[in-house]
Amino acid sequence: MEKNNKDYRLREVKCPSGFTWANVKAELRAIWEANVKAWKIDFAYPVSFVRQLISPVVFMIPYLLYGLVLIGGTYSENLAQLVGTGDVVAFIFTGYIMMGFIGTAVWAMGFSMRREQWFGTLEAIYVTPASRLGQVLGMALHSTVHQGMGTLIQAVFIYVTFGLGLNMSGILPALLIFALMLFALYGFGIVIAAVSMILKEGWIVSDSFYSIMTILSPVAYPLTVLPTLAQQASAIFPTAPALIGMRTFLIYDYVPEVVGNVFLHLLALGIVWIVFGVFVFHLTDKYVRKKGILKKY
Amino acid sequence: MMQSAYEQSSVRSNFFVVWNEFVKNMKFLMAYPIIFVFWAVFPIFWFIPFILQGQAFVGGLESASFAQIAGTEDYISFIVIGAVLNSYVNTLLYGMGESIRREAVQGTLDYVFAAPCNKAYVLIGKALSESVSSTIFAVSQLTISVLLFGVTFTLEVMFPVFFIVILLILGLYGLSLVLAAVSLMYKQSHDVSETIGYFFYIFSPVRYPIESLPSWAQIIGKLIPLTYALIIVRSIMLLGTSLTEMYWEIFALLIIDAVLIAAGFYMFNWMEEKTKRSGTISHH
Repeated sequence: MEKNNKDYRLREVKCPSGFTWANVKAELRAIWEANVKAWKIDFAYPVSFVRQLISPVVFMIPYLLYGLVLIGGTYSENLAQLVGTGDVVAFIFTGYIMMGFIGTAVWAMGFSMRREQWFGTLEAIYVTPASRLGQVLGMALHSTVHQGMGTLIQAVFIYVTFGLGLNMSGILPALLIFALMLFALYGFGIVIAAVSMILKEGWIVSDSFYSIMTILSPVAYPLTVLPTLAQQASAIFPTAPALIGMRTFLIYDYVPEVVGNVFLHLLALGIVWIVFGVFVFHLTDKYVRKKGILKKY
Repeated sequence: MMQSAYEQSSVRSNFFVVWNEFVKNMKFLMAYPIIFVFWAVFPIFWFIPFILQGQAFVGGLESASFAQIAGTEDYISFIVIGAVLNSYVNTLLYGMGESIRREAVQGTLDYVFAAPCNKAYVLIGKALSESVSSTIFAVSQLTISVLLFGVTFTLEVMFPVFFIVILLILGLYGLSLVLAAVSLMYKQSHDVSETIGYFFYIFSPVRYPIESLPSWAQIIGKLIPLTYALIIVRSIMLLGTSLTEMYWEIFALLIIDAVLIAAGFYMFNWMEEKTKRSGTISHH
């Protein structure tokens, strides 16, 4: 039976506007559904899903084996002189946890909009009465949990293969630091998502940022081995202070290479990156719609 | 013996196919200069953390412990050679499968397959362009490494090294033909490429000597062409070994190349026939 225009008009849903509890709930639901969609796509490709789960182990092994061959064991005298602890396994493991989450921000979040473009669903998402940021944050939620699972596998692997001596009493403050770092990384990821909407070859931007952040984050070495300028630049990304803070709580005898309040540093970075990210995203959102370049790639 | 006119024209037209496929792929690469610059420069950023890690753990530019297993104390040159040769894997392994897939996405794969020529020459053209671009990227990375990290090599060793790189490329051709075949049949060869890439990364001595792996992992590593290429090139460049002293490794590399190329051509022809029959060539 054909419906007339009046029937359609009766079923119209008003676009949410303003900061109300109902709108916040609706946005949260949109984020959740974007997350569910990402999981469904993951499970549709089981080989890819498993490969991504074990990738944190695969990419950490070279750092570990190389480190062990360099010093002929698991204790480095030079590392102990630099940061108080010579336990290279604990040092690399705590550092390498970050690598995956940098990938979460730069690749998963940064490419969430571009992926919809490839699927041909970006325009459909754009006409829904929900914030486009919901798509990015939904992907962030999915990717954080996915990466968390990979990190758990990584921890089990390291514990079984090399033995892992961490100070478990420091796990709560370390988790708090980790949460603050994620908050700031999400802001950074939103910036990348915005940039990838404009640039045709956005993967180059993502890869470049990933590489630079990896070097500026003290993943497998203390910050002090970097040149002074690079040490200063590392302060604008959340991974360096987060790593130093987490190692302080998790590794016995660790002496932080940079003095300062990690919690306040990360909180400030989180606020700045989120505000900056949302601002850039909204500007880009307006720009691509005005120019009509949404579908171009 | 003189060639017949038909044979002469056949050789010319096959060369024409290879050359034009080569030119087409190079034009694609040059159309995106930022991608060209990226591959020429950015892989260096991927191994800088290993150099910094070495300095933090050892406190200098040489490691006696490293020499006990790797034969050289100079871990920076070890890492640089590993990374540069591994860049051939990155470009060739993913490049061939992706170039077939790109034809499908662009809607030109049907035309390529309908062309009255042997498809092997199309693939040779693609492989040739990937090899040339990989070599340009490798030379660029090596030059930057020499300037940035003070890595020193004599030009004299470059000829035997170039010979080994050609042998490595041949093995990777075989493997990428297999991937191209998978791409034709299953459309998404990306996961297979990534998984093979993982094997290369873990079981080949890219970042560490193969002797540091458990014995079962060393056996897997010795089935990979990159392993032999790395062992030979490092022996020549870092330990001053002559090419003739490495005859066993060269022989092993040749055997692996032959097996991979034969398997690659067999699989590609088989998958091509299968996709033609099923009418799914242009699907993606």
